[in-house]
This record gives sequence, C-alpha cells and structure tokens, in this order.
Amino acid sequence: MLKLLTSTTFIAGVALTSAAYADGHAEGPYAAYEGTTLIVNFPSHPHYNAVLEVLPQFTEETGINVEVDMLPYLDMRERQTLELSLDEGAYDMIAYVVFSKADYVYADQIYNLAPFFMNPRLADPNYDAGDLIDGYVQNIGVAGGEKGYLPGPTGSLYGLPFGSETSVMYYRTDVFEELGLEPAADYDTLLEQACAIPEAMPGMGGVASRAASGHQASHAFLLHLAPLGGRVFDAAWNPIINSAEGVAAAEALKTIVDCGPEGSSAFGPSEAANAFAQGQAAMFIDSIAFAAGFEDESRSTVAGNVGWAAHPAGTRAASQTGGFGIAIPRNAENPEAAFLLAQWLTSKEGDLAVAMAGGNPSRFSTYENAELNAKYPWSASFGEALADADPDWRPIIPPWGRINADIGTTMSQVLTEGLDIQEALDGIAERTQTLMAEEGYYTWQQ
Amino acid sequence: MAQRTSLNRITPYMFVAPAALVMILALFYPISYMIWGSFRDWDPSQSLSETEFVGLANYAKLLVDPAFHASFWVTMIFAFTVVTVEMILGVGLALLLDRNIRGMSVLRTLFILPMMIAPVVVGLVWRYMYHQTYGTFNRFLESIGLEGVNWLGQNPLLSVIMADIWQWTPFIFILSLAALQSLPKSALEAARIDGATGWQQIIYIKLPLMMPVLIVTMLLRLIDAFKVLEVILVLTGGGPGLSTEILALRIARTAREFRELGEAAAMSNYLLMLLMVLTLGMFAFTRWQEARARRLKFAAQEEG
Repeated sequence: MLKLLTSTTFIAGVALTSAAYADGHAEGPYAAYEGTTLIVNFPSHPHYNAVLEVLPQFTEETGINVEVDMLPYLDMRERQTLELSLDEGAYDMIAYVVFSKADYVYADQIYNLAPFFMNPRLADPNYDAGDLIDGYVQNIGVAGGEKGYLPGPTGSLYGLPFGSETSVMYYRTDVFEELGLEPAADYDTLLEQACAIPEAMPGMGGVASRAASGHQASHAFLLHLAPLGGRVFDAAWNPIINSAEGVAAAEALKTIVDCGPEGSSAFGPSEAANAFAQGQAAMFIDSIAFAAGFEDESRSTVAGNVGWAAHPAGTRAASQTGGFGIAIPRNAENPEAAFLLAQWLTSKEGDLAVAMAGGNPSRFSTYENAELNAKYPWSASFGEALADADPDWRPIIPPWGRINADIGTTMSQVLTEGLDIQEALDGIAERTQTLMAEEGYYTWQQ
Repeated sequence: MAQRTSLNRITPYMFVAPAALVMILALFYPISYMIWGSFRDWDPSQSLSETEFVGLANYAKLLVDPAFHASFWVTMIFAFTVVTVEMILGVGLALLLDRNIRGMSVLRTLFILPMMIAPVVVGLVWRYMYHQTYGTFNRFLESIGLEGVNWLGQNPLLSVIMADIWQWTPFIFILSLAALQSLPKSALEAARIDGATGWQQIIYIKLPLMMPVLIVTMLLRLIDAFKVLEVILVLTGGGPGLSTEILALRIARTAREFRELGEAAAMSNYLLMLLMVLTLGMFAFTRWQEARARRLKFAAQEEG
C-alpha cells in the first residue's frame, strides 16, 4: 500500500513537472511557487482596476494564481486591521492607503522587505530600484527613519509604491485662452485668478476643491500648507500649524472655496472633479488620478479643453504624495510568492503594463515611455511634476487619524461658519499638543 | 419521591435554558465585552487581552471633551425635533386617513414606501436633491423666482432633520392607524350619540385610548433616532464642522478614524445609559398612568 502510494505520488509529481516544463516556466525563480494561489486585498480604484487587467499576464508568466478581494478604499483599513491581527490572516498581500503605513509598521504587522531583497532566489537583479519615483518610495514605503515615518539612516523599506499619486493643476485651456490668462505658477497668481475668473465669466467657479468636513477639508488645507512653506509640526513635534504660513494656507483655501463653484464647501474629491468635468470651474488642483476621466467624453463636457500644469509653488514647490503602496502581512501564508508578485507588478515591465491599462506609474522610465505618452498625453508633464513631490507634506504617525479629523472639522467651521482662522488654528495646535503629550512624543524633552 | 420533586423543580429551568443560553451568548457577552473594553486603552490592532487597563479614564476624558459635548447636543436636538414633528405628522395623517376611502390600501402602501428604502439610498437621494446646482429643491426655488439655498452648507441640521422626517413619519402613521382602527367602536358611538364633535372625539376619546400605543411608538422612534447613522453619514458626513455629527457617527469615527476603541466603547455606554433612562422613564410613566386609571375606575365603582 505504501509502495503504491509512493509511486502514485511520484507519477503525479512527474506529471506536474512535465506539465510545468511544457508551460515553459518550470525553472527559474517562479518554479517553486507554481500553482500557488495568492489572496490579495486591493482597493476599488482606477489604478487597481487596471491591475486586474494585467494580473492574467502575471499568472501566465509565473504559474502563480492571484485572487483579488476588492474593497472601497476607506473600508480597507478596517478589514485589514482585523485580518492582520489574527494568527493566520486571509491575505498574502495588501494594498494600503499611505497613512496606514505608520499603524501597520508600528504594530509589527507587515514584513520588512530587506530579507526578500537580500534573497538571491527572489530578488530580480534587473529590478532597478533607482528608477522608482523616490518621493513615493520614501513617503509610502520607508519607515523608521527621520521622525519615525520618513527615510533616514535608520529607516527601512516596508512597502512598495503602487498606485501612488501626486497633485497637479488641471485648467480649462479654452477659458484661459478666452480671458488671455496663463496657468498660474505661483500662489499669488492662482488666488488672483481663482476670484477674477468667476467675475469675468458669471456662473464659472475659479478652482474646484474638496472641502467637505473631516478628511477632505484637512486634505485640502494641507495641499496648500506645504507649498506656502508651512508644516504641521516642527522638528521637536511641537504643532506649528498656527504659524503665519498656516494662516496663509487656510486663507488660500477659504478664498478658493468662496470663489469656487456653488456648494463647494460640501464637496468630496469626486464632486469637485465632477464640477470641473461639467464645466463649472476653470481650475482643479488634485490627484493625477482624475486625468483620464476628464478626457472621457461620456462623463466629461470639457474633454479636449483640459490643460495640465504643475501644482503652483508658494515659497517652495511641494506637491502632495499619497495613494497606495503594497506590503506583505506578517501572517501571510505565502510571503515569498507574494514578494514575487509585488516585485513583478512594480518592475519596469509590470509598471508599464499597468500604466498602459490606465494605472498610475511608479517609475520615472514609465512616465518617459513614448508609447504611454502617445496614449495618455499628460504623462510627461506628470512625470516632471513628480520631481517636486513632497514626502513630508502630511505627517504619517499613529495619532494622525485624530489630528486629521480635528483639522478637517475645524477647517470646515472656518469655511462655513466664519470661524476666525487664527483662533481656529490656535485651537488645533493646542489640542494637538495635548494629544502628542499623551502619546509620549515629548518624553525625551523632559 | 424526593428525587421526583427536585426533578419537577428543575424542569422549568431546563425549558428556559436554551433561550437563556442564546441570550447570554448573543446579548450579554457582547455588552459585557463592550463594558470591559471601555475601561481599557484599546487600539484596533490589539486584542482585548493585550490592552492596558485605564479605569474610568475614557469616561472622564469624554466628560471634558468639547467635541463629545457638541455631539451630545446635536443628538438631543436632532432626536427630539424629529420625534416631535414625526409624531404630530404621523398621528395627524392617521386621523385624517382613518376612513373608508376608495383605494385606501394602495394609498397606505404608498405612504410607507420611504420606510422601506435602505438608509444609504435615502441619504444619496436627498444629497442629490439638496445639491446646490442640480438639486431638485434649488431648481424648484429658482423656477419660482427665488434664490437657491445652500442646504448642506448653511442649513445642515435642518436638511438632515427633513430627510429623517420624510423617512420615518410613515412608521408613526402606520402604527397610529392600526391603533385607531382597533379602538372600541362602542366608546366612539356613545360619544357621537352624546353629540361630541369631531375634535372632541379626537381629543377626549381617540387620543387617550391610543396613548399606550403612541407612547411605545414614540419610545421606539426615540431610541432609533438616537442611533441613526447611515443617512447622516452619506448626507453630510457629520459636517460642516461638527454641526451634524450625532453620537452614533462620533462613535463610528472614534473607532474607525481615531482608532480608539476604548473611548468609542465608553461613548456607546453613555448612549446606552441615556437610552435606558429614557426607556425606564417611559415605562414608569405608563405604569403611573395605568395606576391612575385603576384608581379612577375604583373611585367610580365606589361611588356607584
């Protein structure tokens, strides 16, 4: 019986091996993982919709199957927090929103990627990590360096940027031409145009912006804070959001919302984008992810009349960095195969394939690709804008959720209830200081 | 014999046991978990056993938290306003429609439609109707020459209240109608013979007889209004500022965005205590009313 069992196993083994040889990927880095099924958690997002189109190519090349669990991106963290705290989790790989990085690394729930990149059987020598967009890698992938969430001598890599975004300015070429305007390169011009355009063209808003209470209002404020020279904290974690730069950023947001399309103060990102797509605003400063939608004639009335420019500079050029990264949970069943998938997706070929399907590139070489530029003409300008991407535009620390909500609700009061800006920012700074003290950020100052 | 007696004594408990077990597992265990969690500094990445015991710190923190206070008052204003208006409209409609009209059953079904719609859909539909430029309300206002209103920006609480009234008045209506139709005909007939007018019948006969049902209905609505979440989440997300952030939403945000499960549990317990007080108050009121009715009846019998 034992003999029969052994020979059956052997025959089955031979059959599998020969089948694999016939497929042409029995040898090489993927052979050991052939037939493995990876379960991955992705957000429902244009970039990851593009990834779904490319995944069959990965399975064909490697023999590794991928099952995708797709969730709305704001619901992902809740599910992931639950899965990551179990002894055996459901996911081999997760895509995470950038601000989840701090929580996952701090709770030791995702792998440090160094052992994978050190393993000669797994690491692709042609990966060319230098080609990955540096601002993204630092902001999304690295933790443990400066301030804990930034790179630095003590930092290391926990995730790879994938589906990352920066901010750019979209503008209506026809409107600007009619009014004889040039797209603003600095904040003074931007704010002047934001209110001058609605005066010259009644019914047309200046800049469409997110401003809804909570995360959206906070995001919108921070979007202007970094270029105008401000930060949320100084080097010793003291809140400096109520500095002159902070006030200037809040004033800029208020001007933009006041001169924006009607109902701006309740806009989320899709409503702001929609206002621009429906011709209700002359400008829109937000993520690069919206570009394709504006050129889709079935959803946009301004297709063909949209120009792209870098996020205007204030005292410095500092566009946002955000979006998603991919990481391997500590409780993954197949971490090595998951690494192979992560490496493949962010390789030059994988990145280009995803970008051609409508995703956001993670590599400079992809942005420079002629084929991509022919299909998506904005690619080159976005690639240039990335040189100014600021990895420190928003602190990624465990108490950020609370501070973010406070900034968001207070800023919303500034926009809708006329709360005094300085008073509002002083309040945030005071509450943040108390919270940071509770969280132990001033332990070494005592 | 003694064995038989003790077996007899155990029997009822054995019959009750399955139900009691389900209650313990499904009701008391989660509630105890929440109460225990509210005494701990609990991040969602930790299991409850890994968390640190902080005593009443979460409760004390909430008592001095201005955002919690704001949320508490928004909840009170919201709950009492919607329930008052819904009671007046619901009972009024029931009194109006308590008659044999042709097609009454169709009309009744139409009236309760809003209640059957999923709250998220209600939120989305109303959000669209309140839209500054495309919204039904502003288009209507503009078509009659009035200026559009910034519903969700300038009048957020009113907008949320209106949506809730639209959705939940039918609940009161349908229960009041059922109560009206089961009233003893003899009392109404006697009133008519005695020459009571329509108003007098409503005020002296119908409403007092409906009162027990109305109280339970009001209690159910009040409990529900304190916990409403989805419609507001979709409509305003709690904003602008904290102007529509009711307690249920604050609890959800504390757990999900701020990742403070202990504080969220403490807040839930405050809400639970508040609802318990309301419920006990209502029951005490009904008891008092029943006792009073009994006393009056007894006094009448004595006199008779």
